[in-house]
Amino acid sequence: MTVIEVEDLTKRFGAFVAVDRLSFGIEEGEVFGLLGPNGAGKTTTIRMLAGLILPSRGWAKVKGYAVGSNSLKVREIVGILTENPSLYERLTAMENMDFFAEAYGLSDKQKKQERISELLEFFGLWERRNDKVATFSKGMKQKLAIARALVHEPPVLFLDEPTAGLDPESSKEVRDLIAKLSFHENRTVLLCTHHLEDAEKLCNKVMIINRGKNVIVGTPTELRDKISGTPTVEISLKKLTFAVVEAAKSVSHVKQVDADTANSKLTIVLDDPQKGTPEVVEKVVEAGGRIFAVRLVRPSLEEAYLKLIKEEQR
Amino acid sequence: MRLEKAKLVFRKDWMEIKRNWQVILPITILPLVISVVLPVVLTLIPSLVPASQTQVNGFDTLIQNLPSNVQEQLAGMTDVQSMVYVMALYFLAPFFLIIPLMASSVIASDSFAGEKERKTIEGLLATPISDSELFFGKMLVSFVPSMLVTILSFAVYTILFDVLSFSIFNGMLLLPNLDWILMIFGLAPTVALASIGLTVIISSKVKGFREAQQISVILLLPILALVFGQAAGAVIFGATMIAVLTAVFAVIDFAVFRIGVTTFKREEILAQLA
Repeated sequence: MTVIEVEDLTKRFGAFVAVDRLSFGIEEGEVFGLLGPNGAGKTTTIRMLAGLILPSRGWAKVKGYAVGSNSLKVREIVGILTENPSLYERLTAMENMDFFAEAYGLSDKQKKQERISELLEFFGLWERRNDKVATFSKGMKQKLAIARALVHEPPVLFLDEPTAGLDPESSKEVRDLIAKLSFHENRTVLLCTHHLEDAEKLCNKVMIINRGKNVIVGTPTELRDKISGTPTVEISLKKLTFAVVEAAKSVSHVKQVDADTANSKLTIVLDDPQKGTPEVVEKVVEAGGRIFAVRLVRPSLEEAYLKLIKEEQR
Repeated sequence: MRLEKAKLVFRKDWMEIKRNWQVILPITILPLVISVVLPVVLTLIPSLVPASQTQVNGFDTLIQNLPSNVQEQLAGMTDVQSMVYVMALYFLAPFFLIIPLMASSVIASDSFAGEKERKTIEGLLATPISDSELFFGKMLVSFVPSMLVTILSFAVYTILFDVLSFSIFNGMLLLPNLDWILMIFGLAPTVALASIGLTVIISSKVKGFREAQQISVILLLPILALVFGQAAGAVIFGATMIAVLTAVFAVIDFAVFRIGVTTFKREEILAQLA
């Protein structure tokens, strides 16, 4: 089931086009990453999808509710983590949660308290629940803002830079939480980030946008393959000899061999790594090579992303 | 419009305001000082006028300018009694229209502009609270404390004046009378609502609190004109006039609310965020 449908979505601010004819769909339970440099149009896209601003052209639907004509309903079913934590610093963590819980329609007092307690405990904020948010660290505020986005158990989540300001341990906790929300609770997540690690670990699909335009869309693996070609094979040996290098070169699928004698490592580019790798290994062993490890090396999504953005900006 | 959502916005803002002494002090201290100082000064008049002097210079002219019904009320009073009576019951009355405006100005100016400055507005706008609920909630949080301060100031003024003027009017209690009750519970709230509505609109349109407050000061000018008009004897607030003005302002309040909701644009507000 397609939960978020976007067609030809465009946003203009005067002459400036912030989002330019974006079209995509997000399936139920999917984590969809929206990647791009600063000013690419990620936040504007989220604001349109959350019913905060109106598209200049095109349309978007969230769970069948049209953004614009039914924005109030869209805001009811969406949990949003905004670019800024948007928390009331003179209020305590509990008071902030209480206000947003009620604003999102949690009127049953007991249910509301249980949900707030559950979230504050999960994020390690329970002990600080009666402290004013002004006394919180940046990471604590970010956690509280995520807790706020989840308070009404929304089926759709828009998360703008959820791991920003978090230490590595907290970032991992948030990533695990997003994975849990998607895989176990079937919630649909639109993740806006320039943390490629988050996108790589969490997203079923990624769209890279630049200057408001869709540059490329696909799974993280597809993106890496499309942008940086096929993976290479890396063979670590006890000792790298001339005979071993020649043996590797003799295999028909091999296009290029790079020998790193200092680290006794061969990096091999093959037409088809699936077919060619066993033959290469066989030849290397026959030539007296003693292999420690064979690895299929893909460019990271970060490398692929940086390459793409560089090309776009040329 | 769901009233409970507007009340929710009110409760949230009120919790924030009551912890902010920079807001609480100016909206409470000044009105209370006025309500204490005015009756004390008024009742000091007899002691400033020598006992032998029954005529106060220039006062005759002032009395002659007053409407006949007010002049009738003064029949049989000495000049000192007349002066205290006219000042306490008529000339100072419009100050109690200024109190709710002064008290609400800080909160109403901060309503949206302050949230923009503190970068809390996006989270609020993202909630499923409608424009009218949000707008009404923001109006309520300015209206309720300002009216509480006004009513409290009126109570202090009334009690102090009655106690201090007890001997001047030979045990007669002058306040509260019908005019004052109509003004405090009819005209003052409707005038305050109009001013609050306009200030909240301004606050949603400008970038920051200071800008909103500077513009909203202009709204005080018509009320100041009434204050000086009454102090000069040019306009006198009788019960009928107060009732008519209350009705007129009630219509203005409704119109301001409609305009406020219609012109409320989440997009414009977000565009002003850095």
